[in-house]
Amino acid sequence: MSVGKQEALQNALKSLRIAIPEVRGALVASTDGLPMAQNLSGNEDPNRVAAMAATALGLGKRISDTLNGGTLTETSVSGTEGQIFLYAAGNKGVLVVVTPANVNIGLVHLEARDAARSIANIL
Amino acid sequence: MNESKPLKVVISGPVGAGKTTFVQSLSEIPVVNTDETASEDIGKATTTVALDFGMLTLDGIPIHLFGTPGQDRFDFMWEILCEGALGLMLLVAGDRPQDFPHARRILEFITSRIAVPFLLGVTRQDLPRVWEPEDVAEYFDLAPEQVIGINATSSTSSLLATVRLLELVEAYDPFYAENLQGHYDFGGTVIKSVKKT
Ligand SMILES: Nc1nc2c(ncn2[C@@H]2O[C@H](COP(=O)(O)OP(=O)(O)OP(=O)(O)O)[C@@H](O)[C@H]2O)c(=O)[nH]1
Ligand SMILES: [Mg+2]
Repeated sequence: MSVGKQEALQNALKSLRIAIPEVRGALVASTDGLPMAQNLSGNEDPNRVAAMAATALGLGKRISDTLNGGTLTETSVSGTEGQIFLYAAGNKGVLVVVTPANVNIGLVHLEARDAARSIANIL
Repeated sequence: MNESKPLKVVISGPVGAGKTTFVQSLSEIPVVNTDETASEDIGKATTTVALDFGMLTLDGIPIHLFGTPGQDRFDFMWEILCEGALGLMLLVAGDRPQDFPHARRILEFITSRIAVPFLLGVTRQDLPRVWEPEDVAEYFDLAPEQVIGINATSSTSSLLATVRLLELVEAYDPFYAENLQGHYDFGGTVIKSVKKT
């Protein structure tokens, strides 16, 4: 990946975190599970997060196909301590957004869908 | 007969071993396939990121086939997919001996977590200059009857390998064997069918 692309992805993640300060981390992975850009706050392994994001999105796509849900746009995982939103960024990327459990979901979607669109354009 | 308890078989092995191809050759239903475009050069265009799922029925036994991804970064899926598996088909490409150590690591990863009988399938037997199953058995230090040559693109060859795996499952698990009754002929090989529950 070119330096320009890498930088553009980092900027997209940075603006997302500025727009929603509660976001605990964000990452862009390729659809085959390699990390392309990351802005994680904890000590999560970006390689593992990227692989899992690709798995979740890949499986989500087939579930959507099977149940006539059309093209997958996003899927999410909710726990008592946090939520993880996974957005398709075109057909090459996945955007992962990690938030606390009680976040304003409407706001997250609004900003993250926007970010996913610009990431798709970068890729 | 169709009420038999499904038998879960996991297909694992390194990238390009032919896991997705094997499931596709066997399945009687449209396969749930999760291949995505490979962004690295892995010698083919796509790679499995979650699983392959297919089903077939062998003399009344519904067999559920779960193919794993081959790349190490998806090792969490090996663990998830192997839960409750009654048999493991480990595939290696006969023309990629450089992948054998990786195949051995996958085998150790899985068998250290669950006790499961396995058959080692050496794919690409339809191509010239591939390792013969006997030599691969020696490399892996396995009994010759635990290794079989396969052409994963052929449903007959894949089916024969599955029948062999079922025989190993039957020999391995006394509880499972207890639930078997009757002998059925299949493709020249005699296998048993699971008792109705
Ligand atoms: N001729 C021949 N081709 C095979 C055989 N097995 C697999 N192939 C081919 O090898 C390629 C790789 O097969 P896949 O089934 O995608 O490999 P995989 O094990 O699922 O790989 P990953 O999902 O990336 O881990 C495909 O192009 C298959 O057609 C075989 O027995 N004979
Ligand atoms: Mg595959």
